Amino acid sequence: MDPLSWTGNIAFLDPLLFFALGLLALSVLVWIVLSAVLPENRAINVTGGSASLSSGPLVLAALAVKAAFLATSALVAVYLLLGIVMGTGAGIIGAMAQRLLPVWIALVLLFTLSILFKRKLGLYGKLFDSPIGMIGFALVMFWVFTGFFGAVDMIITHDPLAQLSGLKNKVPGTPLRSPEDGDFLWYLLGGDNLARDVFSRMVKGAWEVVKIAPLATVFAFMVGITLGLPAGYFGGKLDTFLSFLANLILAFPVILLFYLLVTPEIVQTGLPQFMAVVLFAFPLIFFFVLINARYRTQPQKNYLWLAVVLLPMLALYLMVVNAPGSKVDILPTALDRIDIPGGILVVFVSVVFVNSPTVFRIVRGLTMDIKTRDYVAAAQTRGERPWYIMLWEVLPNARGPLIVDFCLRIGYTTILLGTLGFFGLGLPPESPDWGSTINEGRKLLAIYLHPALPPAFALLSMVLGLNLLADGLREESLKD
Amino acid sequence: MMNKLSQHDGPVLEIDKLSISFFTRLREIPAVMDFSVSVQPGEAVGLVGESGCGKSTVALGVMQDLGKNGRIVGGSIKFKGRDLAQMSPEELRDVRGNEIAMIYQEPMASLNPAMKIGRQLMEVPMIHEGVSEKVAYARALEVVTDVRLPDPERMLNSYPHQLSGGQQQRIVIAMALMSKPSLLILDEPTTALDVTVEAAVVELVRDLGKKYGTSMLFISHNLGLILETCDRLCVMYSGEAVERGSIADVFDEMQHPYTQALFRSIPLPGADKNAHPLVAIPGNFPLPHERPTGCNFGPRCDYFQSGRCDQGQIDMEDVAGNDRHATRCLRYKEIDWAAPIVVGEQKEKTKPGEVVLKIDNLKKYYEVAANALFGGGTKKVVKANETLSFEARESETLAIVGESGCGKSTFAKVLMGLETATEGEILLDGQNIEQTAIEARDTRTVSDVQMVFQNPFDTLNPSMTVGRQIIRALEIFDIGDSDQDRKQRMLELLDLVKLPRAFADRMPRQLSGGQKQRVGIARAFSGGARIVVADEPVSALDVSVQAAVTDLLMEIQRSEKTTLLFISHDLSIVRYLSDRVMVMYLGHVVELGDTDQVFSPPYHPYTEALLSAVPIADTSIEKEHIVLEGDIPSAMDPPSGCPFQTRCRWKSEVPGGLCDREVPPTRSLEPGHQIKCHLSDETLQRMQPVIKVAAE
Repeated sequence: MDPLSWTGNIAFLDPLLFFALGLLALSVLVWIVLSAVLPENRAINVTGGSASLSSGPLVLAALAVKAAFLATSALVAVYLLLGIVMGTGAGIIGAMAQRLLPVWIALVLLFTLSILFKRKLGLYGKLFDSPIGMIGFALVMFWVFTGFFGAVDMIITHDPLAQLSGLKNKVPGTPLRSPEDGDFLWYLLGGDNLARDVFSRMVKGAWEVVKIAPLATVFAFMVGITLGLPAGYFGGKLDTFLSFLANLILAFPVILLFYLLVTPEIVQTGLPQFMAVVLFAFPLIFFFVLINARYRTQPQKNYLWLAVVLLPMLALYLMVVNAPGSKVDILPTALDRIDIPGGILVVFVSVVFVNSPTVFRIVRGLTMDIKTRDYVAAAQTRGERPWYIMLWEVLPNARGPLIVDFCLRIGYTTILLGTLGFFGLGLPPESPDWGSTINEGRKLLAIYLHPALPPAFALLSMVLGLNLLADGLREESLKD
Repeated sequence: MMNKLSQHDGPVLEIDKLSISFFTRLREIPAVMDFSVSVQPGEAVGLVGESGCGKSTVALGVMQDLGKNGRIVGGSIKFKGRDLAQMSPEELRDVRGNEIAMIYQEPMASLNPAMKIGRQLMEVPMIHEGVSEKVAYARALEVVTDVRLPDPERMLNSYPHQLSGGQQQRIVIAMALMSKPSLLILDEPTTALDVTVEAAVVELVRDLGKKYGTSMLFISHNLGLILETCDRLCVMYSGEAVERGSIADVFDEMQHPYTQALFRSIPLPGADKNAHPLVAIPGNFPLPHERPTGCNFGPRCDYFQSGRCDQGQIDMEDVAGNDRHATRCLRYKEIDWAAPIVVGEQKEKTKPGEVVLKIDNLKKYYEVAANALFGGGTKKVVKANETLSFEARESETLAIVGESGCGKSTFAKVLMGLETATEGEILLDGQNIEQTAIEARDTRTVSDVQMVFQNPFDTLNPSMTVGRQIIRALEIFDIGDSDQDRKQRMLELLDLVKLPRAFADRMPRQLSGGQKQRVGIARAFSGGARIVVADEPVSALDVSVQAAVTDLLMEIQRSEKTTLLFISHDLSIVRYLSDRVMVMYLGHVVELGDTDQVFSPPYHPYTEALLSAVPIADTSIEKEHIVLEGDIPSAMDPPSGCPFQTRCRWKSEVPGGLCDREVPPTRSLEPGHQIKCHLSDETLQRMQPVIKVAAE
């Protein structure tokens, strides 16, 4: 078999693409220079009774940027379409486009449906009015779908842990030396220094990230909200104490904390587990207070809801926290259905631990602002209890900034996971997550560039997507 | 060195058929349409209208500061004969701040908090005229003296936050006058200030306009204020000027139905809630993109003729016989403007019943640590309420009047149970509640005493449907046995406040200010409240909506026999709707009595000043001008003796400096009329009425 080139039979498109990219860069530059030099345009055109903003050099430049961008996007789309049709005939790009077919289908479906019904979907629907938000959402959903389909073994070309002979550190597009029946014939993005397929590992790694980062962020938010609300609402000594604690954690070097948490001696003392016991209890407290505050006046409904929501959560909590043979071993083995590897637990605990103080401060600040509103006073004067006011009057109205921060924070957490993986902390060494893969690739970076780059780009595009998504959400939530 | 534009005969500002639009992604939103007005040298022109009618947009258009998506789409703005739209950015910079100065609503937002006052003032001539620092300082000192600030040199050396709101606004006015502009634009300059401070600022503006010969464009929603400050006015409705003319013409010979409706919906001294109720303007203000064809006011107009008023563009037309008086009404010649108001049903005056609420010697003190960070050091006591005593009866309206810092909100908090009293008693049906915090009160007590809040945009939780919020109140007050029951009751409450039942599923942001306030009222009455504290419930609403909400409140009160504690600083509305009035100053009740007793002499000196300060939109009223010097003292550091002695104009009538030494005792003048003043009976008898209806 021949090695695959990057674009194979559609290489004739390459000059076009470079030309379009060049145009794009140039037009953006001109546009920026013009908007800095030219004065603000105050004139208008009145033609045929309807008024419009007049055209000038600036408008023309903006038009050029738009055209160049559209041309580039169209070319990229042509690459992908031809790739999907021609597969390996269109080189590595084509082959990857074809492998990712389920992702494309899912993305197209999601966007069509969302845009069709965007007026009925609230803030999520409004996201589709903002180009920035849409691009961000597309990037994020690309990796979410990739992770999901990768997890059910759909996109990957090889077992991410299998080592094939002769493919150690080989460049992208290298054919397998002795393929068996049904094997994919190339390592699309080359092999790493243990002769594993870089492409498949990147796809599998996406799942690790998509799985852990949002969940860890949710937990951090639960902790931050549950502590931030009373701190902001009651103020006084409680606030001083909690804020001091938050500052203490924020001031502690994060990396040192991580190293400490995985040190065997510390693990022996059960510290990470005890932290898990405390941190994972917050969602329980949060939902208990949430429901209890809402249905305080109707005991029967209250108990029903509490039972429906809290019992499963409690069971889950006990199973997650409990680990046989460790310091926290309260549940009989028969009941302990979920076993979380110690490494993951540590990653989780540390991510929640370092993220929650920041969330705490945001929530506290928002609460202090919102508690001065008249509707809070109205709730007080009709005798509502403090927790009802905090959770049902204050929190929903703080949601805007919190949603935006949530998106950004998933981005930070993703990078944090990368960092942890990079230092070899937490996750098992053979884990395909992006941080660990980058770390392994780093060792031979001077000689072999290709194993480290794909996960790095993946991390970059996902975090970029989350930031753009947050920008779009912020922009749209301000309009109304 | 930059020079002023050359002298020009004719109007200082000439706006001709101006149209301004804002462009959004969805559509073009016309904010001002076909608007013309001219300001002659030395003339003050008022611009009146409700919020959203485009009056501020006109001001921004004159300043050529419409932001990114605002554009002038038609007409011209000529300043001293030159079209502002044709000017280059450099020329505009010369004109702004130098020839045209603007004063905004919020004084604190107009001053740079990180710069000393003197520096900010000196900047103006230094930038525009390139004068030396010394000259600029001398000019600043002169102007600050002109705006009658005490101790000008210390003022120049202080930061904005060290000044009170009234002083800040004076500094902003001083800054505007620094370059001796030919046109001054004032955008609601006194809305953020207290009444007595407002009166002083208004007088200052008027005097300075005369002294400097500055033309003024005065934007306000308050007709009374326009009457006191302006020579001419222009009434705006939904982006258009509907009537234009001199004050006398427009106030006394109005030629547009909207102007008429506006005057009928504000409580003038003759109005009475039972005999002459206010006439609210039906319907709502149209949104800019939902304006009707033809006359914008058509759908709400009593004189509307279909097939005529809803056809095409209506132009301004000059009214014959008057000086530059124009109206935008097709039927102005046919309407009988002198026709008396059709009085709706007259209501019986309700008889006050049993005493439900009795306040006896109530005191509320706060302790404030002098050093907030470490809590140590001496503690200061803020006396927010001092010896409050009064009774309130069933189905009675008791107005509590006073400016900010007088302790009325603190009293409301103590009554509601959000704070507990320091001393004294609050008796609800003979039971003490002054020491029971709201958590400890039983449901009945809580639902009996409820509150309607001031700010309609803040009174409802923005992320909960209207129905849900009322149902929640019902749940808390333990009303109804099932969800079905409560839902039914909620719909009935919506009927009670005259809102369509479909509003139950709406979010608060879909409602207008008046509608939100109605929901707030429904919520307060959901537990069958017997005492409702209304904290300035209509002051944030537009004039045309105020009347409707006030009437609604009265009507519910009449049917539910509620005791209404109406907190307000607006004496016109207080006179209109209350049975008894209580005037507060710095935590003291300075006067208490029937409405008639309080509004006629003898007054407490503070009541007298308050009455004089309230602007009244009626040309036939003559007011005695009493301007209080200085600001309200801080409750942290109250004056010795009588709380009002620092600003009282009658102080010299009391011999022996008694006012400086002793808090005056409460004394009864007539049955039910008590004041807290050292003035002798003879002096009190000499007092003249502040408001006189001129003999015609």
